[in-house]
Amino acid sequence: MRPDATELKTLLAAGGVKAEPEDVLLGAVARVRPREVIDALSSLKSAGYESLVDLFGTDTGEAVELTWHVRSYSQDAEVYIKTTVHYDAEIDSVWNVYPSALMPERETAELLGLKLGGHPNPRRLLTSDGVPPLLRRSVPIRTPAEAERR
Amino acid sequence: MTDPRNDVVGVGLLAEGMHDPGSPPAGIRRVPSGVDGLTTEHLIVNMGPQHPSTHGVLRVLVELDGEEIVSSEISLGYLHRGIEKLAEHRRFNALGTLMDRGDYVSGIHGETAVALAVERLMEIEVPRRAQWIRCMMAELNRIASHLVWFGTFGLDTGGMGQFLYAMRDREAILDVLEAVSGGRMMFNYVRPGGVVADLPAGIDLKVEAFLDAFEIYLEEHDALLGGNEIFQSRVKGVGIIDAEKALAFGLTGANLRASGVDYDVRKNRPYDAYPELEFSVPLGAGGDAWDRYAVRMEEMRQSARMVRQCLDGLPEGEHTAKVPKVLRPPAGEVYAAVESSRGETGIHLVTDGGDMPYRMHYRAPSLFALQALEDVIPGTLLADAVAIIGSTDVMLGETDR
Amino acid sequence: MALDRLTGENSMLFIRSEQLFDIARTNSLWYMAFGIACCAIEGLMSASGPRFDFDRMGVFFRNSPRQADVMIVAGTVNRKMAETVRRLYDQMPEPKWVVAMGACACTGGPFRDYQNVVLGVDEIVPVDVYVPGCPPRPESVQYAFLELRKKIRAKSEERLAARRDRA
Repeated sequence: MRPDATELKTLLAAGGVKAEPEDVLLGAVARVRPREVIDALSSLKSAGYESLVDLFGTDTGEAVELTWHVRSYSQDAEVYIKTTVHYDAEIDSVWNVYPSALMPERETAELLGLKLGGHPNPRRLLTSDGVPPLLRRSVPIRTPAEAERR
Repeated sequence: MTDPRNDVVGVGLLAEGMHDPGSPPAGIRRVPSGVDGLTTEHLIVNMGPQHPSTHGVLRVLVELDGEEIVSSEISLGYLHRGIEKLAEHRRFNALGTLMDRGDYVSGIHGETAVALAVERLMEIEVPRRAQWIRCMMAELNRIASHLVWFGTFGLDTGGMGQFLYAMRDREAILDVLEAVSGGRMMFNYVRPGGVVADLPAGIDLKVEAFLDAFEIYLEEHDALLGGNEIFQSRVKGVGIIDAEKALAFGLTGANLRASGVDYDVRKNRPYDAYPELEFSVPLGAGGDAWDRYAVRMEEMRQSARMVRQCLDGLPEGEHTAKVPKVLRPPAGEVYAAVESSRGETGIHLVTDGGDMPYRMHYRAPSLFALQALEDVIPGTLLADAVAIIGSTDVMLGETDR
Repeated sequence: MALDRLTGENSMLFIRSEQLFDIARTNSLWYMAFGIACCAIEGLMSASGPRFDFDRMGVFFRNSPRQADVMIVAGTVNRKMAETVRRLYDQMPEPKWVVAMGACACTGGPFRDYQNVVLGVDEIVPVDVYVPGCPPRPESVQYAFLELRKKIRAKSEERLAARRDRA
């Protein structure tokens, strides 16, 4: 599946982002620093990657790993940009580059306990006030005893 | 004597003030209109989460200047049930049950997505017969889902008859799916490796009877709703999403194809038996609600065509590959997408070598369609907004996950 | 004695107005179109469809809670939805009944492990009939309405007494 890691490296370098992408089962994955994410995505956008297919975060146990899945329909290519941020870190919204990040960012920030900067509507999306970040590994699900309330 | 039914345990749940009503709250906002210093009032109206267009528990706050929508905000989360979190506590075979309840009218597609993800990680090769069975069930499910959309879209624009006709045809499909999988809606049929059980004897007669009738009925439905002048004037030229905006907002599926972008996961990233099936992918030109309607009607015709091919060309063989009872994929990460009735349903699966996923992310096409609506609805009339929401075929189960 | 048969309890000639109203009510239980999740497709849409046909039982959907007798809670109720469910229940005029349809509305269902889910809608509103299943077949929901009818008719004496005591 296009592109491979070296092509991605050139694409990102054109935007001033130095990264060492790798080819894994997922596809071409580039890990960048959190403050380089917007530059990386902008360089992809200007290279013809019109759409952000998905954005989500994973709690790795020590930090939060964010993944942006970007696709070019004209070139039929997909790449992944990953970065790692600390818990309760502030992430910058990429909605100026890809408007499809608007709601996924709100959801990721809310469910993983991150702060959102530069977003037009940085409020909670799925849960109400006072609910802890439910996707964190440290927040448990109900025990069977709690689930049987009678 | 007070009515004991009113002594409800746990009403305190609500008194904690946990509900976030969304901003701005429903009410009136005075806006200077700039004519002789007179002010006008914008009315902020709340649509949902209980409203007649049964797309689920969607809440839309609209600011109205008369009948025209000035701005809108979509409030989600009324069906947030933790599918992604619960996936971390379910074995890989059981993930299909969670996906069934995500996009609940397209259960087969959701199950197939997660099955493909696990198969890619474990490098399981699905036997040809299982692939063809999966395709047949998926296309039948697509027709059933589009019939729900067809019925409710007509309800949104005011028609009631087509809803009952759609339900009637859907019952025939659900009979087939129930005979094959045991369930009318939660199939739990597609598992990593293939399908749970082979097709029962005599199912081809049932499917053929359905297809023979459906090909005629579909034209009747199209004439009933699509040929109706009132319906046409309500959806033509309404809710135009051009190709650039559709791509920028991450739309997929029929919504994207109605805007003119030719991308179908079945053609561009084929899986199962789709490379061997002959079908065309309908494209729209303008990206308005009428194009989305026409694209989905044509998709139903193509799906019927595919089911016929699956019936005629079903290969012999096993219905599932030999997989261990407890699946333990190697540690890794994979993304698997299917073309579900709503768009590209993707499963991003992160595993750590155990018997349960480390993280499962469910890429729901309806979330991106709803995001785009926040941009498309302002500037339209309130009645048009209902038609636009109906034309994008959103399902709140997968949006909120 | 014969006069008793004609005019007393369970008389042949006269009927308490409450019993008459109950016969009218139970034969036209209108539910509020309020589908939260998957059960709505089966229990509200399919059950009203031409095959299972709720309308022959007099059961029809009304969009506004003010015009409805029954609220079928079809789907998982979570914390954000709970206030809306309660508000809708409060907006329904008396007499009103609630049918908890599906495992999620009864006890939390397959999502009971998640912190955000309310373990059954009877924590929010009083429930009259519980329908288990995930999802229950449309016939189950229709059976629930038949049971609800029996319950309403059986309780008419109690309701009459309660109303008398309240006044």
